[in-house]
Amino acid sequence: MPELPKIPSVSEMMALASDYMPFIPKPAPRYVSEAGKPVHGIIAQFSKTPAVVHAAERVRDAGYTKWDVMTPFPIHGMEESMGIKRTILPAIAAGAAITGVAGALAMQFFMNSDYNIVVQGKPFLAWEPFTPITFELGILVTAFTCLFGMLALNGLPRFHHPLFARDRFLSVSDDTFFICIEASDPNFDPARTRALLESVGAESIELVEDEDR
Amino acid sequence: MSSIHPDKVTAERLAGLREAAHTPGRDEGPSLGDGSLVEDPAIRPPLVLSQRTHSEVTQIVCGYAEDPPPKWWFIAITISSTVAAVGTGMILYLIITGVGVWGLNNQVDWAWDITNFVFWIGIGHAGTLISAILCLLKQRWRTAVNRSAEAMTIFAVICAGIFPGIHVGRVWFAWMLFPIPNSNGIWPNFRSPLLWDVFAVSTYATVSLLFWYMGMIPDVATLRDRADRRLRLGVSKPFMVALPGGREVQLPLPKPDTLRAYIYGLMSLGWRFSSRHWHRYEAAYLVLAGISTPLVLSVHSIVSFDFATSILPGWHTTIVPPYFVAGAIFGGFAMVLFLLIPLRALLPNFKDLLTIRHIENMAKIILVTGMMVGFAYSMEFFIAWYSANKFEFEAFANNRVNPRVAPYWWAYWTMIGCNVLSPQVFWFKKVRQNPWAVWVVAIFVTVGMWFERFVIIVTSLHRAFLPGEWGMFYPTWVDILTFAGSCGIFLTLFLLFVKFLPVFAMAELKAVMPDADPHPHDDDHGEDH
Amino acid sequence: MSQTQAPATSIPIPERETPRAYLTEAQWRKRLDKLAAHPAMRHDNIHLPEGATTKLSGLLLIAGAAALVITILGAFAINARHALAAFEVGLFTCVAMSLGALFLTMVFHSLNAGWTSTVRRQFENVASLLPVCWVMLLGVVLIEVLGGGILLTWLSEEMAGDHLLEQKSPFLNVGFFGVRFLIYGLVWLVLSQIMVRTSLKQDETGQRGLTRVMRFNSGWGLLVFALTTAFFAFDFLMALDFRFFSTMWGVYFFASAALASVSVVVLVLAVLKGMGRLTGAVTEEHFHDLGKLILSFTVFWAYIAFSQYFLIWYSNIPEETAWYVYRTGEGGYKALFLVLAFGHFVAPFCILLFRKVKRITGLLAFMAAYMIAMTVADMIWIVRPMVYVGEHASENPGVWGGIWLDAAGIVAPLCIWGFFLVRAVGASPLIPLKDPMLHEALAHKNYV
Repeated sequence: MPELPKIPSVSEMMALASDYMPFIPKPAPRYVSEAGKPVHGIIAQFSKTPAVVHAAERVRDAGYTKWDVMTPFPIHGMEESMGIKRTILPAIAAGAAITGVAGALAMQFFMNSDYNIVVQGKPFLAWEPFTPITFELGILVTAFTCLFGMLALNGLPRFHHPLFARDRFLSVSDDTFFICIEASDPNFDPARTRALLESVGAESIELVEDEDR
Repeated sequence: MSSIHPDKVTAERLAGLREAAHTPGRDEGPSLGDGSLVEDPAIRPPLVLSQRTHSEVTQIVCGYAEDPPPKWWFIAITISSTVAAVGTGMILYLIITGVGVWGLNNQVDWAWDITNFVFWIGIGHAGTLISAILCLLKQRWRTAVNRSAEAMTIFAVICAGIFPGIHVGRVWFAWMLFPIPNSNGIWPNFRSPLLWDVFAVSTYATVSLLFWYMGMIPDVATLRDRADRRLRLGVSKPFMVALPGGREVQLPLPKPDTLRAYIYGLMSLGWRFSSRHWHRYEAAYLVLAGISTPLVLSVHSIVSFDFATSILPGWHTTIVPPYFVAGAIFGGFAMVLFLLIPLRALLPNFKDLLTIRHIENMAKIILVTGMMVGFAYSMEFFIAWYSANKFEFEAFANNRVNPRVAPYWWAYWTMIGCNVLSPQVFWFKKVRQNPWAVWVVAIFVTVGMWFERFVIIVTSLHRAFLPGEWGMFYPTWVDILTFAGSCGIFLTLFLLFVKFLPVFAMAELKAVMPDADPHPHDDDHGEDH
Repeated sequence: MSQTQAPATSIPIPERETPRAYLTEAQWRKRLDKLAAHPAMRHDNIHLPEGATTKLSGLLLIAGAAALVITILGAFAINARHALAAFEVGLFTCVAMSLGALFLTMVFHSLNAGWTSTVRRQFENVASLLPVCWVMLLGVVLIEVLGGGILLTWLSEEMAGDHLLEQKSPFLNVGFFGVRFLIYGLVWLVLSQIMVRTSLKQDETGQRGLTRVMRFNSGWGLLVFALTTAFFAFDFLMALDFRFFSTMWGVYFFASAALASVSVVVLVLAVLKGMGRLTGAVTEEHFHDLGKLILSFTVFWAYIAFSQYFLIWYSNIPEETAWYVYRTGEGGYKALFLVLAFGHFVAPFCILLFRKVKRITGLLAFMAAYMIAMTVADMIWIVRPMVYVGEHASENPGVWGGIWLDAAGIVAPLCIWGFFLVRAVGASPLIPLKDPMLHEALAHKNYV
């Protein structure tokens, strides 16, 4: 089964909205750092692809749900290692394609019957000449849905994120891999989570605070 | 492995007791050239040379986007933007005066305008082909060329869009092309091939742009992060401009890195390289590739319908849709090579990412598509004769081929020479593996593909059914300068792209490097690449 | 790059050598040994037991012979034109499958494809039947020539004075037709034998160089393939109506050929999987990719078929349009036209889009069989309307009259061809044993 969006509770929706809209109050943090700031999570750094894939499998098996692996490039097979379900994006795209095709046909049928032009004695509503535009509009709507659907499912654009505040994290776009286990995960425990990340061979481990609050 | 000590082997060899060195047989020749030309069918040639690390790839690609541009870049962009400005002036002159400033006449009422349109839209096909079709075919070498080819696609489509836009004369009525409700109560004619063009080209431009942009999001995020890190470390330089006298002046502008962090930051939409995001990103990329492939085929097919739905001899022939598509890919790859081979020489670090193997592969595609185009030419000619339709055969034999009666015979034979004969040299490996030889053929092909459209359009129009409808086309200076201007616009945009955006798809390149393999094999050296 | 070091611009990129990547003969042999130890390469997994195919091939031979006898009887009972047309429908489908398999074998070689290594042997088997097809075609040609143009009306005496035929006679005459027919046979024989024999030789010797031999021959092979396929389609399908012409015709036949060949290979592989073979060698990943090929050739066929129809429909020139008038008009051909539009494109396109359909062997095998049936329907649509045209219209027994003759005629060549295919599958290892890209095919996986 591909991933299906779960219907979030009101508090989850408020928490999500607060990530994007500063005027919405953030939920009370589960953990607070020594500096008195809310804890976003713990990140662990890796420098080799096999190491991070192996570590991800261990974190998955430990039962965490709110965690993520940041990699400079998509790693083949990471979905399996992280236990991510297949995305529903292709299904959404198929829906968009049907919409585009239906819309284009409806538009052409309506407009050519609303305003009849005699061309070469062809039938006014022949399907043949409608094919090119029907096809093109189907593609156009699908393409927009693909890009914006991908962004929406990913919760992007989101220009601010606690991870960006960590100097170390910026090298993710170069050649470094990170695993981040978030404090909102029900299994999260500062000591045990850190111990797990240490045991999977992390090269360094850092606490990520939510600098915003 | 030999049980003899290697020093003993050397000693014996020097003493003439052994063969001078291991002479590789046909099966196991060592790699040639830059190291990408592996001749062993059991080995995948390396896609990135010199054992580059991921970090070095980032540095190579971002370095050129962050460094001050080299001198040749300033010279090139000065020339190309001047030409572009002249072309823009010509467009304004045409709009102010009317299409009479071109050499069109009652007989040849489509000429350079539509030739240029089809030429540019054809060039635009290689980018989407590389990103979409080669992606579906799992051709991993495409990662080195897809970004620049996609960029080229968009710039070529921009150039293509100019000509149909202005050739209608009164451009302020261009809104009538679109189904916009209006007080006249009229709607566009959906049975007109020219209207299909409007939808096809605008869809193609939009989808190519989305595809290009989506591919660029992670790489732009890399540029953002690099600028951000320099700012945090306080090593960013102020905005300086070098004057001709060797002096440097500071401009009252934010630091370049601040600008980069903001602009690239906005463009990258807060991409944070999450695997959960990558998963959906790759799914979206695959779907986009899947829909772009039929899109590429459809766009040039629809362009070909402009001609083939008519009953004009020379235009109406059923093979035209796939033949136009093959020609577009052919011309598009030639343009990719025409741009990338000099770029590779001028920005030498790119040689590790864009290898001779890439050039050879593209030369092979040019050979294949050139043969397809040649196949279509011969089918057209054969069926023109086989149809036993006098007009159809005349349109080929006496309006194009025969030098004694066809005034445009030189255009036809230029087309044949450039498109069918010149790529034949690619049967030879030596030529395919020589970048500058490939470059020369690419120029020939580009010229040939322009002439192909010229031949199709002008030679079919200049002799209609009655001799009273016969005429010739002579381009005016406005025709010539408008076409030159479109080349200037194209080159200017490409030079700006080379300077300001990542020319290689870094994330995709990194993913096909050996370091990216999550399960590296523990085989002996040389086993797995 | 460590975090303390700023990514400043203009950092010099260190010079480094590219390692010379190639396997020495010893390393190559070592890899072959390793491959031989792969669990998928067990002998009984990639070979059929002696005599496993005799039952099926015998059945096919008997069925084919029976159908052939019925067809010959039908030729006397109903109409020789009808019987020949039905036989040609089946035969052209066989030719399409074999030609398409030859094409794809050569494409796999020239693209240096890795994942196809384990499925390529079945493409080679299908392609190796081209001489069989040619012999059956020879029978058709002899009947046509000796019978004075039964379906190929340009051969008949009655058409001798036709203006169009006189114009075309330098091409449409018995001598040149015979020469062309010999050339097709020769080219197909040489190409299919090069591909099949070289591959079998590699099974024994394990020479990597043989892959390069096949790659080299694929280059020029594809060129002569394109020409012979196009002219075969002109001679045997387009020339059924010598007045009709379409530059697209060769490509149209090629589209069917590629589609039908992948379909038949999927069927063969599914049967072999059903017999408990090819475990680990041909997995759902391979079926997924073969399914993608079926999907894309379905779309390609639709693109070519639509473009050809559309351009002729739009221009509406009598000499071309007549061909479509027959095929969208009376006698059930309008219905067949719609069956092709929906059954050959819309329905399979929508079904094959689903990932699961491509990955479940049974479902994909069903779709493959269905696509072969649709290719047959396409051939019926091309050939059959030419039986009762003109002065023969009065003999028309209707759509369902003589359906048994249509069925027998179509089944006969398919069964005979199937007999040879089953024998070919049983005669050699089911996958190339020492292909240089075998390790990639064994580890093949579709990500995303």
